Amino acid sequence: MKRFFFLSLYFIFLTYSFAQDMETINSKLLQHSDAVIRYEIVEIEVLSADKLRINTGRMVTVLNEEGESFIEAYDFYDDHSKIKKQSAVIYDSRGKEIKKFKKKDFQDRSAVGSGTLISDDRLKYMEYTARDYPYTVVYESEVEKRSTAFIRSWYPVSGYRVSVESSSYSLKNPAGIPLRFKEKNLDSLLVHRENSNLELNYRIENVPAYKKERLSPDFKTFAPQVLVALNRFSLAGVEGEAANWKEFGKWQYEHLLKDKTVLSPEIISRVQALTADAADDLEKARLIYGYVQENTRYISVQLGIGGWEPMSAREVDKVKYGDCKGLTNYTKALLESQGISSHYAVVYGGKSIEDIDPEFASMQGNHVILNIPAEEGDLWLECTSQTDPFNYLGGFTDNRNVLLVKPEGGEIVKTRAYSVEENLQESVSRIYLDTNGAFEAEVVRKSYGVPYGNIYPIARETSQNQELYYKNNWYHLKDLDFEQISFDNDRTRQVFTENLSFKGNRMTSRAGDRILLPLNFIYPYTFNLPLAGERNHPLEISRGRSFEDTFEFFLPAGYAPESIPEGYTLKSDFGNFELTVNLKKKEEVVYIEVKRTYWLNEGCWPAGAFEGFRKFMNRVNSYSNQKAVLVAI
Amino acid sequence: MRKFLLFLPLYLLFCNLHGQNYKFGKVSKEELLEQQHPLEHEANAAVLFREHRTYYHINPQTGFSLVTEVHERVKIYTKDGFEWANKEISYFRNGNDQEKISGVKGVTYNLENGKIREDKLRKDGIFEEEVTDYKLKTTLAMPAVTEGSVIEYRYTLRSPFVTSIDIIPLQYTIPVNRLETRVSIPEFFGFKKHINPKSAVHFPIEESRRNETYRTGTRSSGTDYMVTTYSIEANEIPALKEENYIDYLHNYAAYLQWELEFTKFPNSPYKYFSQTWEEVATTIYKDGGYGKELDKTRFFEDDLDELLQGASTIEEKIARIYDFVKEKIKWDSYLGYRSINGIRTAYKEGEGNVGDINLVLVSMLRYAGINANPVLVSTRNNGIPVYPTRDGFNYVIAGVEAPNEVILLDATDLTAAPGELPKRASNWQGRIIRENGSSTWVNLMPQYQSEETIVMNLKLQENLMLQGKSMKILKGLQAKDHRDKYRSVDEEKYMETLHTNKGNIRITSLEKENEDLPGKEIKETYDFELENGVERINGKIYIKPLLFLAQKENPFKAAERTYPIFLKYPYVTTATVNIMIPEGYRVESIPENFASELNAGEGSFTFVASQSGNFLRIQSVVDFKNIVFNPRDYNALKGFFDFLIEKQTESIVISKI
Repeated sequence: MKRFFFLSLYFIFLTYSFAQDMETINSKLLQHSDAVIRYEIVEIEVLSADKLRINTGRMVTVLNEEGESFIEAYDFYDDHSKIKKQSAVIYDSRGKEIKKFKKKDFQDRSAVGSGTLISDDRLKYMEYTARDYPYTVVYESEVEKRSTAFIRSWYPVSGYRVSVESSSYSLKNPAGIPLRFKEKNLDSLLVHRENSNLELNYRIENVPAYKKERLSPDFKTFAPQVLVALNRFSLAGVEGEAANWKEFGKWQYEHLLKDKTVLSPEIISRVQALTADAADDLEKARLIYGYVQENTRYISVQLGIGGWEPMSAREVDKVKYGDCKGLTNYTKALLESQGISSHYAVVYGGKSIEDIDPEFASMQGNHVILNIPAEEGDLWLECTSQTDPFNYLGGFTDNRNVLLVKPEGGEIVKTRAYSVEENLQESVSRIYLDTNGAFEAEVVRKSYGVPYGNIYPIARETSQNQELYYKNNWYHLKDLDFEQISFDNDRTRQVFTENLSFKGNRMTSRAGDRILLPLNFIYPYTFNLPLAGERNHPLEISRGRSFEDTFEFFLPAGYAPESIPEGYTLKSDFGNFELTVNLKKKEEVVYIEVKRTYWLNEGCWPAGAFEGFRKFMNRVNSYSNQKAVLVAI
Repeated sequence: MRKFLLFLPLYLLFCNLHGQNYKFGKVSKEELLEQQHPLEHEANAAVLFREHRTYYHINPQTGFSLVTEVHERVKIYTKDGFEWANKEISYFRNGNDQEKISGVKGVTYNLENGKIREDKLRKDGIFEEEVTDYKLKTTLAMPAVTEGSVIEYRYTLRSPFVTSIDIIPLQYTIPVNRLETRVSIPEFFGFKKHINPKSAVHFPIEESRRNETYRTGTRSSGTDYMVTTYSIEANEIPALKEENYIDYLHNYAAYLQWELEFTKFPNSPYKYFSQTWEEVATTIYKDGGYGKELDKTRFFEDDLDELLQGASTIEEKIARIYDFVKEKIKWDSYLGYRSINGIRTAYKEGEGNVGDINLVLVSMLRYAGINANPVLVSTRNNGIPVYPTRDGFNYVIAGVEAPNEVILLDATDLTAAPGELPKRASNWQGRIIRENGSSTWVNLMPQYQSEETIVMNLKLQENLMLQGKSMKILKGLQAKDHRDKYRSVDEEKYMETLHTNKGNIRITSLEKENEDLPGKEIKETYDFELENGVERINGKIYIKPLLFLAQKENPFKAAERTYPIFLKYPYVTTATVNIMIPEGYRVESIPENFASELNAGEGSFTFVASQSGNFLRIQSVVDFKNIVFNPRDYNALKGFFDFLIEKQTESIVISKI
C-alpha cells in the first residue's frame, strides 16, 4: 500500500511538471525524431516465483503521424496474466487535458499475429484520433503475471526516430529470489544505476533519437537494454529453476519436451519399413525428413502452455499438422525411433541475423529447428517447410547462435553459415540479335546457398506468374515473349537451375547508322544508395553473394563490331568485380563474349566506409552498363 | 456401330460429370487419385462440391431464425493449396444477439495402399475466437492433409438477424466443380435476388413454391404460408483471377445477393423497405437523421459567424468552412453515412466518424447560405452495389451544387482541397440528397486532368558531369498525392528519397512551395550534379536527355487482360529538358519527333526534339483524359507505353569537333 501511494504521487508530480514544460523539450531530442518519450517508469515487483506485478507509467509526446507507434498505450494479457489497471490521458500541445481513458474505455481484441492461425493472446489498447500535433499521452497500467519466465527487460529506446527525455526501470525482489541481469550497449550513455540483490534501478536521461540508415546493423544489436531473469520462475503454470543455459536447457527438456516423442507402434513400423534399405543414418534421416515433408503441414496454434511446449509426436501423427515446435519434435521422434539422435534447437528466425545471447539464459527465440549431430558437421532441418531440401537452412536461420535443448542440459551452438562462394549465382546467356533490335535469348542460371532458397519456390508458381516474375525483374528487356520456362531443382546438391528461352524487342538502339548494344543483359545485384549526409551507424552486409555471368551476343548478319568496351577489374574491401569483353568466333559466327565476375563480401565496416561502398556500387553499375557499337560491314 | 463408337466418349464424359456422389462421406477413389484439375491445370486446390442451403426456422417460443447450412468438399492438389485446408468462418454478434455455429463435422480423405482412409476433424481441431466485440471466428484445421487429400466439412450457422441474408459466394479464387445453392424464404419476408452483372459467369436460377403450415402449441389447426425456393445448380465455375490496376476484385466475382423489399408478418401490415435509389436515399435521409442532424446549428453558430466575417464570395466561404471543419473535427478512421456520435458531440469532442464530420460540414455550409447537400458514397472496398440498398452506401461526403457542377468535399481528408476526394471515396457514383428529399446521381471519379510539369535545364561540363536545375510544378491530384506521401517526412528523409533512383547524383538548394496548402500547386526546385549521366563510347557522347524523368518500366506486363483497367486519375505530364553543349562539340544526331494516340485522344504521347546551335530542347507530353479502359484496349495501352518508354530513353549523340 505504501509503495502504491508513493508511486501515485510520483506520477502526479511528473505529469504536472512535464505537461507544463511541453514546449521546453531539449532541441537535441527533436532532431530526427517522430516522438519523444518524456518519461517512462517501469516498476516490476517480483512477489513470488510465480507472481509479478508490473507498473508502467509512460508519457510520450507525439510530434507527427509517424510518432504514433511510440505511444504504446496497450498491454497484452492471457490466461496467466491480468491487466489490473489501465488508464490514459491526452494533453494538447499547451498541456491542456483533452481526453481521458478509463479502464473500460480500452478496446479489447485478439492478438493473433500474421502467420498465426490461432492464439489466446489478447490485448487491450487505446484508440485515439489525433487532432493536432504535437500532443502528449500519459499511459499508466498495472499488470499481474503468473508467468515469471519472461521478465520485461529494460529497453528504453523503442526504435529509430524516438528520443528519450527520461527512462527509469526498477525491479524489486523482496522475496530475494536469485536473479541475473545483463547490460547491453549502455557504455556510451550516462546511466544511473543502483543495484543490489533485492533491487535493480536504472535511469537514463536525454538520449537523442537514432537515425535510420541504409545497410546498418539491426537495431537490437546496438539498442541499450538490460536483460533480467529469475533463477526460480514459472511459465504458464510450469515451475522451473535455472541459472545458466545448461540448467535452463535441462529444465526445458524435462518440462516441455520429455515424453513428447512417444509414438504409436504403427508409425514406428512404417518408418522402419521406410528406412529398411537405407545404407546409413544420414540416408535414414533424409528419408524421414522427406516423410515428414510429404505428410504434414504447418499451422501455427499457440494456446496456453502450447505456446511453449510442442504438441506431442503422437498427436502430430494423428492430425498431421503442427507449428515449428510440434513438427520439429515429431521429426525428432521419428529419428529417435530409428536410433538417430537429434536436438531441438531454439532460434530467432528471420532474414536479419539475430543471436540467442550465449551469456544470458532466459526465454529467448521465436522459432525451432532440428539439429542432428554428425561427425562431418552437424545437419540442420527446417521442419516447417514442406519443400526445403534436407539439411538446408537458407537465409531464415543461417549463421546464428541457437539453443540446443539436450537431456543433459542446454548448449549454445552456431548454425551453419553460407560463405560468399557458397551464395553463388552463375548464368550463361546466349543472345541472338537482329538488326531491328529484336533478339532471341537462351539463359541458364544456377543458384546455390541462400539464393537457392530464395529462387526455388518459383517452380511452384503458375506459368503466368513465372512470366511476370521475369518481366518484372528484367524490366530492361522489352516485350518478353517466353518460349520455354523450365526448372531443375536438384534437392540433393541444393542447386536450382532455370532454363529459359524467350524473344524480345528493342535491345539495341540506333544512333545514325550505328547500332548501340548494351552489354548489361542481366543487371548486377547492387544497392541503389543515395548520397549520404552524416552517417552514424556502421555499414553491414550480413550475407556475402557471388555472381558469375557470361553473356554471348551473336551479332546480326552483315554487322561487325566497331568498338567493344575495355575490361575492368575492381578490387576493394567490399568485394571484387571483373569484367572482360572479347570478340570470339563460333562456327564462323562472330560473337561478343562478356564475362562478369562479381563478389560482394559480408562484413561490418565503420560508418566512414559508407561513401567508399557507394562508389563501389556506382562503379559496378557503370562498368556493367557499357555498350558495344556495331556497324554494317 | 460407328455412331455408337462416337457416342461412347461423350457418354463417359457425362458419367464423369454427373456420376459423382456428393453425399457427405461418399468421396471416390477417382477424386483422390486426381493429380491436377482437369480444366485449370495450375490450380492448387479446387472445390469439388459446395452445397449452400439457407432457410428460415420458426420456433413457437423464440420466433424466426435464419439458418444456413454449408457443405464443402475440397481437393488439395499441391502444398500451396494447404491454406484451403484451414477453413475460417466469420460471424457476428451485436449485444445479446449472436450468430451461432453448430453441427460442425469434418473429414479428411486420403488414399492409403489403394484404400480410402478417413481422419475425422476432432474438437481439438476446431478453434473459436472473439476477434472483436462484434466479430467472431471459428477455424477448422483439417487433420492429415497432404497433396492429393480431399477434405470435406459441413456446419450450420444460425442467425437472429433475420432480415438480412448474407452474400452467397458462387465463385472462388480456385475452380468450383459443382455448386448447389438453395435459398428458401417464407412469404413473411420479401427478398429480391441479385446476381453480379459484372461477373463473367452467370447461372440460371430456378424458382419453386410450396405451402407449409405453422402450428402454435398443441392446437391442431395452423397457419398456412408459402415458401419460395431459389436454386442454382452449376458446374465448372472457373477460378476468379487477380490482376493489377483494377478497382476492386470482388466487383467481378460471381455471387448472389439478397435485397429485403418488405416484411409481412401474420396480423401485421406490410412493412416496405427500400426499392429504388430514390427511396434508398429517402430512407437514409430519414433514418440517418439527416433532417434532424442537419438542422442542428446552434452549437456552431457563434464560431461560424466569427469565421465568416469578411468572406464575401461563395468560394471564400466554402474554403473557410471546409478548412475549419478539417481542423476542428478529426477523423477516427470509422466509416458510415450516419453520424455515430451526433454532430454536436463530434464538434465538441473534436473527433468523429465520416458521418459526423461531413454532416457537420453540410450543416455549416447550409447555415452560410450555400446550397450544400450530403452525397452518399460506396467506398472502393464496399464495391459497387448491384441493387438499390442502404448497404450499397457506407460513406458520406458533402456536395455543393453550383450552376454547372457539383463541388465535392470530404473533410476527413486533410490533404484534399474542394473538389478533390481521397481514393477510398472516388468510386463509381454518389447519390446527392437535397433538402426537399429529392436525390440524384453525381459522378465521383475525378473529371479534370491533374498536371505535373517539369522543366530541367542541363549543362554538360567538359568533364562530362551534368549540371542541372530542375523545376517541378504539381497541380490537382498530383499535388495531393505528393502531400499524402510526404506529409510526415522530414527534410532529411525527403532529400534521401529525392536522391533515390537518380544515379550518382548530388542535389542542393532544394526549395518547395505550398507543400502544406491543399489545393495550391506545389512548386519544387533544386540544383544537381550528375556523374555518369552520359556515356562516352568510341569518342562519341550519348545523352538520354530525360535522364531520370524517363519512364523505365511498362506498368502492363501480363500477356492478357480480363478486367477493365483503372488508372488513378486523368493527368498530363509534361517534361521539358533544355541542354547546353560545351564549346568545341557538335551535335551528331537527335531523336526524331514522335506522336501517338490512344482511343481517339483518350490518351496521347508527343515527343519533340529540336536544336539551335549549342542548345537542345526536348519535350515529352503524356496526356490521359480517360481513366477507365476496356480490357479490349489492353494491348493498345501496353503498346502505347512500349513506344513511350523507347522514345523517352533515346539518346542524343554529340562529338568533339
